[in-house]
Amino acid sequence: MRVGSGRGAVALAPVPAAALLGAAAVAALLLDHLAPLAALTAALVALCLQAPRPRLVPYLFGTGSAALGVFLLWPFLQTTGIHVLWEGPVVPVLGVLDITREEIVLAGVYALRLAAVGLAFSAYALLLDHDRLVAAASFARRSALAVALATRLVPTLERDAAGLAEAVRGRGLEVTGVRGRARLLSPLVAGSLERAANLAEAMEARGFGSRKPSRAPGPAWGNADRLALALGGLLISAAVLWL
Amino acid sequence: MALASVEGLTFSYPEASEPALVDVSLRLHPGEVVALLGPSGSGKTTLLRALAGLVPHFHGGRFAGRVEVAGLDTRRARPAELAGTAAVVFQDPEDQIVMAVARNEVAFGLENLGVTPREIWPRVDEALAAVGALHLAERRTAELSGGELQRVCLASALALRPQLLLLDEPTSQLDPEGADEFLAHVARLEGATILSEQRTGRVLELAERVLFVEGGRLLCDAPRSEALDWLAKHRPRYLPPRLASPGLPNDAEIVCRLAGVSFAYQAAIPVLEDVSLEVRRGEVVVLEGPNGCGKTTLAKVAAGLLEPDAGTVLRSGRAGYLSQDPGRYLIRDRVLAEVALGVEGDEARAREALARVGLEWAADRHPRDLSSGERERLGLAAVAVADPDLLVLDEPTRGIDPDRKAAIATWLSDYAASGRAVLVATHDRTFPADRRISLQPEVLLAA
Repeated sequence: MRVGSGRGAVALAPVPAAALLGAAAVAALLLDHLAPLAALTAALVALCLQAPRPRLVPYLFGTGSAALGVFLLWPFLQTTGIHVLWEGPVVPVLGVLDITREEIVLAGVYALRLAAVGLAFSAYALLLDHDRLVAAASFARRSALAVALATRLVPTLERDAAGLAEAVRGRGLEVTGVRGRARLLSPLVAGSLERAANLAEAMEARGFGSRKPSRAPGPAWGNADRLALALGGLLISAAVLWL
Repeated sequence: MALASVEGLTFSYPEASEPALVDVSLRLHPGEVVALLGPSGSGKTTLLRALAGLVPHFHGGRFAGRVEVAGLDTRRARPAELAGTAAVVFQDPEDQIVMAVARNEVAFGLENLGVTPREIWPRVDEALAAVGALHLAERRTAELSGGELQRVCLASALALRPQLLLLDEPTSQLDPEGADEFLAHVARLEGATILSEQRTGRVLELAERVLFVEGGRLLCDAPRSEALDWLAKHRPRYLPPRLASPGLPNDAEIVCRLAGVSFAYQAAIPVLEDVSLEVRRGEVVVLEGPNGCGKTTLAKVAAGLLEPDAGTVLRSGRAGYLSQDPGRYLIRDRVLAEVALGVEGDEARAREALARVGLEWAADRHPRDLSSGERERLGLAAVAVADPDLLVLDEPTRGIDPDRKAAIATWLSDYAASGRAVLVATHDRTFPADRRISLQPEVLLAA
């Protein structure tokens, strides 16, 4: 993962980078104050912006819309605080529909927490070399590879689904409604099973499952990697103790 | 001494009624480049799998006879043990990619073989450089084109330094220039190479020896010159075909007219810019051009599957579209039902359509039990059964053997002659057409 841009950019090895992102997510869950949460979120946004734009957009959209939804809904679902900013009608089940300053602050905290965790995951998905992360796994390497392959299967499935729908349209048939789409589910699953079988064959042909595999050496940890680990620890400590 | 030997090999896949290979015997010697030819479903891929030990270990089935590679009996040695000796590159690169980054993909096999860690990256770089793909090393595999992926797959095989390289239609996704470049890399390799191909022209120039398989039997095993004589006498369509001459000008009704069409999947990255095209009744028009020039996009716009960002598209009548790799997009569990889907279950019409592509025998089979070439033909039958006025086909001859390709080309020509039109996007420069249009990245040139 590269942090920064231009000549000042620093490349982090996958393990310290994953640890730093994990620490950022944990810290976001622990923090209770708006300012440090906002600073952490801003830092993660800046990090994510280094990813290629087309891949970044769905992650930013998903995280941003979820966080905005929390910010907008939270004040209506809580009854906290004494500084009322707006008083609305009484709604059955929910009670008095009002907004207080404290509720807005809390909504901001929860929205920023969600945004920070989502952005940390986005950076993990977009910027890390997952192959090397899998290779660095000292145990259950096959399981780690299976998880990585399954993660990569999602965009492949999306492409296959789009291709299937297009192929059906090309034959003059329209795919409409839940029932129409449900009909495509079975061939989609069959196709992905076939793809998985082909991949398994190709992996076996390339020696997967041999008794004594080795591991390509990863980049040696530099000062930046050690600093990233220390920063991760510091983030969590600060979140627990002071913020 | 032979590097590999096959003696009396007969093999049937589990639950198959017919054997895929029947009494096949051959010997391969170090340094040989061997062309493996034959119709779709003839047993070429099975023979390659047998040499890699994947048959019978991965697929199961009934195996009789003996296959030895570098002194290892494939019945006893598992594919993982043979991996450093025999390496395979399969037809579809997307089904072989394990890792997210090209460099790591090439390292994957070396790690599996237990190569000393300090040797791994130099061998990865050497293999990528050997296929002209060193610049792709840090690219994400999900972002590579089919041709680039195929080169990475070849590098992954070469990095293992195999004595026997098995290539199963490796150029099927490449444009002619890309295929030439790929085969030039193959020609420079050390060790023995078996190259299964349907585009026979380049392979017959490269190979020193030719194997011809049909119905699971090895019909011809001869040096190139003798094999060319054999092909000329028995299977002339496997000889390099000549380009079809362009037809006469046509003033029939226009079935599809594109005027000033532009299209982009992402803003600021146009795929088509100000493209114009006319297809008339009675003609077969071929769209050709390098990978990534926009052939598929233009075909989809012509078929009405994509709406252009600018320009107009006029169609007279209905269009049908056959996508690339249609074998992936089959939805019924019976071949006849798959084709009948396009004509509201009319099985009589579906049977006729199957007969036109030579698949009447497969009517009751499951579509996924067919070979890749047979699935391509099934896809064609499924689209053509409804007799669209404009039939748009994207790479319809990929993986199809020369005999069947000639039959399909004749049928498409007859289809157009019956008052409809055919638009074909293809890399295949030998595909017969009335008109050929060369689509370059930014310019459309009508021939």
